[in-house]
Amino acid sequence: MSTYVYSSSPHIKSSATTKRIMIDLCIALLPACIMGAVYFGWKALLILAISCLSAVAAEWVFLLCCKKKFAEIIREFDFTSLVTGLLVGMNMYATSKWYVAILASVFAIIVVKMLFGGTGKNIVNPAIAGRIFAFIAFGAAFGGTFCVNPEAPSVSQIDITHTFQAGATPLGALYNPNLQNSLSNWDLLLGTGVQGCIGEVCKLALIAGGIYLVVRGVLNFRWPLVYMAVTGLVSVLIAWIDGCNALDVSTPSFVAVEFGKAWGVFLPSILSGGLVLGAIFMATDYVTTPNTKLGNYIYFVLLGILTAVLRRAVKGEAVSFAILLMNLLVPLFDLYIRRRPFGYVKAVKEKKVKEAK
Amino acid sequence: MKTFKGGFHVPDNKALSDTKAIEQMPAVTDYYVSLSQHIGKPAEPAVNVGDTVKEGQLIAKASAFVSANIHSPVCGEIVEIVKRKNAQGSVVDYVHIRANGKQDVESMPKLDNPTAEQIVQRVADAGIVGMGGAGFPTAVKIQPKDEVDTLIINAAECEPYLNCDNRLMIERTEGFLQGVRLLAKAINVSNIFIGLEANKMEAYETLLKSDGVVDEKAERKDGDIVLVLLKKKYPQGAEKTLIKACVNREVPVGGLPSAVGCIVNNVGTAYATYDAVVNGTPLYKRLMTVSGRGVRAPKNIEVRIGTPLSAIVDFCGGLTDDAVKLISGGPMMGFSLMGLEVTTTKTDSGFLALTDKEASTVLPTSCINCGRCASVCPMRLMPMYIDFYATVGDYDKAVSIGGAMNCFECGTCAYVCPAKRPIVQSVRLTKSKMKEKK
Repeated sequence: MSTYVYSSSPHIKSSATTKRIMIDLCIALLPACIMGAVYFGWKALLILAISCLSAVAAEWVFLLCCKKKFAEIIREFDFTSLVTGLLVGMNMYATSKWYVAILASVFAIIVVKMLFGGTGKNIVNPAIAGRIFAFIAFGAAFGGTFCVNPEAPSVSQIDITHTFQAGATPLGALYNPNLQNSLSNWDLLLGTGVQGCIGEVCKLALIAGGIYLVVRGVLNFRWPLVYMAVTGLVSVLIAWIDGCNALDVSTPSFVAVEFGKAWGVFLPSILSGGLVLGAIFMATDYVTTPNTKLGNYIYFVLLGILTAVLRRAVKGEAVSFAILLMNLLVPLFDLYIRRRPFGYVKAVKEKKVKEAK
Repeated sequence: MKTFKGGFHVPDNKALSDTKAIEQMPAVTDYYVSLSQHIGKPAEPAVNVGDTVKEGQLIAKASAFVSANIHSPVCGEIVEIVKRKNAQGSVVDYVHIRANGKQDVESMPKLDNPTAEQIVQRVADAGIVGMGGAGFPTAVKIQPKDEVDTLIINAAECEPYLNCDNRLMIERTEGFLQGVRLLAKAINVSNIFIGLEANKMEAYETLLKSDGVVDEKAERKDGDIVLVLLKKKYPQGAEKTLIKACVNREVPVGGLPSAVGCIVNNVGTAYATYDAVVNGTPLYKRLMTVSGRGVRAPKNIEVRIGTPLSAIVDFCGGLTDDAVKLISGGPMMGFSLMGLEVTTTKTDSGFLALTDKEASTVLPTSCINCGRCASVCPMRLMPMYIDFYATVGDYDKAVSIGGAMNCFECGTCAYVCPAKRPIVQSVRLTKSKMKEKK
């Protein structure tokens, strides 16, 4: 009997493991969580803790129901559920009810991840699905964009202007010239005075986390950049078209004037709302992105366009829905966008040869 | 610095043995010489049990066009012809020779200024095969059917730990370069490249001092050997990636290097050609690196074909207690061994004993679709699909979507995989299942 390990080559392997990648993700998310706690207080911390615990607990309970031994579950724990829990918590508002956080985490883990086959088999990003579940199912208890402004003079006047003032994100000012935007780009970057989800207010912390991931080789810096840049550009375009429509066509050189003005939208549109969080941590989820480089470029460009257009059209949860929709298209990308192998020779189609004869 | 797309920098661990000069492995008493040390048909024994053979005497003849002669590594008596397991685990015929202590050497006549035909004939007679690992008979390789204009010498030695090609270039520079010229003459080409990775600067500088060897940028005369410094990246020494890096040509899918006018030969092969033509010595010795942290004294040794690994390990100070894995060849493409019973062949460039810190013993988890395997694949395949479809048993899709048949099993995908998926094993499974279907 041989005492040596016997296996197929290669016999050495890199030190990267799934667990290590997930721990890196947790570390990268920490700065944003801390800033969330700084801005929103202990309530934010509580929501984060609740969603993390319930996500991990949901996974363990599910595995126990699958008759896995507890020791085995602990040994094979790969931190993916913790990342999901953390992301769900960061997508909650500090004012969200505690049961919303629990239900969103459980939904993300059980329905989106485990029922489809566990780690690596989810068809959409679990955290995004959890957020949208909470948004659709709970509304006011979830908090956020569509809560009603109690100071509105009458029901009929609860219009977009008011909901946005009361709402979570300062995006409204981008498309609504009547709204006074008191926030500068610096405020948006640092999150000072910005309302929003726990994890998405401080963009600087998110970007710092993203840089950490790029350095660790977990994240390809291209994809978040492509996504954010395209969103910014399309927002500029939309703002320009809106501006042109508002102007009298007879005004000379309105194109130049308005286009220059529209550029002012570029940075705010990137730094507002959940775009940075979505672009760095959720849209780039390994499982729900195409496998080829070309596929990824198309995917993130489309995602950027979709986000900007959705923001203009529905004004709320644009990033989440854009990512959810594009996630569902990923199998199509993988099916139709294939790369050519090394030394690819264009195959002569047999049918055509036969027809020629 | 030239290279190809894809690949990954694997820590090379060459420092364990890169300064160790080549040592002669002392003779042992029992040699087991395999009759199939090459691609193609096994050689047919040309001696009978009980015969006395001299060192270098022909003991088995090539049995087909794609086959190779085998010579006795030692002066002694043929004890028996037995079936044994080789390093790959299959059972093949071995000639058991017991040394009688005499030093009688039988060599072929030396050739002075040979013609191309004479070189090809001598390479065939000496039983020279590709010494990088595949073992394709060199005589067949240097008579290509297509038009060929370039000879590339593979000195990349991209496998971690291995140093035998490196040491050969440093210590036997003149013989190696003569071998290269002889091969070029046999193929009748004047474009000669030597591609070596940037971690072999000592060999690079030594070679550059010789006459008629220039680096890429320098002006070159007709017949000069061009040294191409390649980026340190695995698998730089694979035939197709080497051609891409040196002359920027892509070998078509399913094609041979000669389809793009190139012939690739290994450093060891070039030296063996020199030895056979100039000294008249057939191929029965080769250089080999014995390394890994599981070996007490890593060495580069010149060893006779058919030497049992147990003797080699004893010569290198024995194994440490924490050696968990024995490998014939390099750690990326070599074969895992059950024990030390196997003997060396013409294609063994190394023997490694790895400790548990070096060898990966982590169990696979599920694929997280990170796409690292695809980004490092030098053949631009989709390893994740090969693994997925082979695991679920849909081998046709592993071939059509993953591209399993174009894979040369370099193992870069499995190296970088964070889930530790056994991708290369899936490729081999797919290939063997497709063979069964035919």
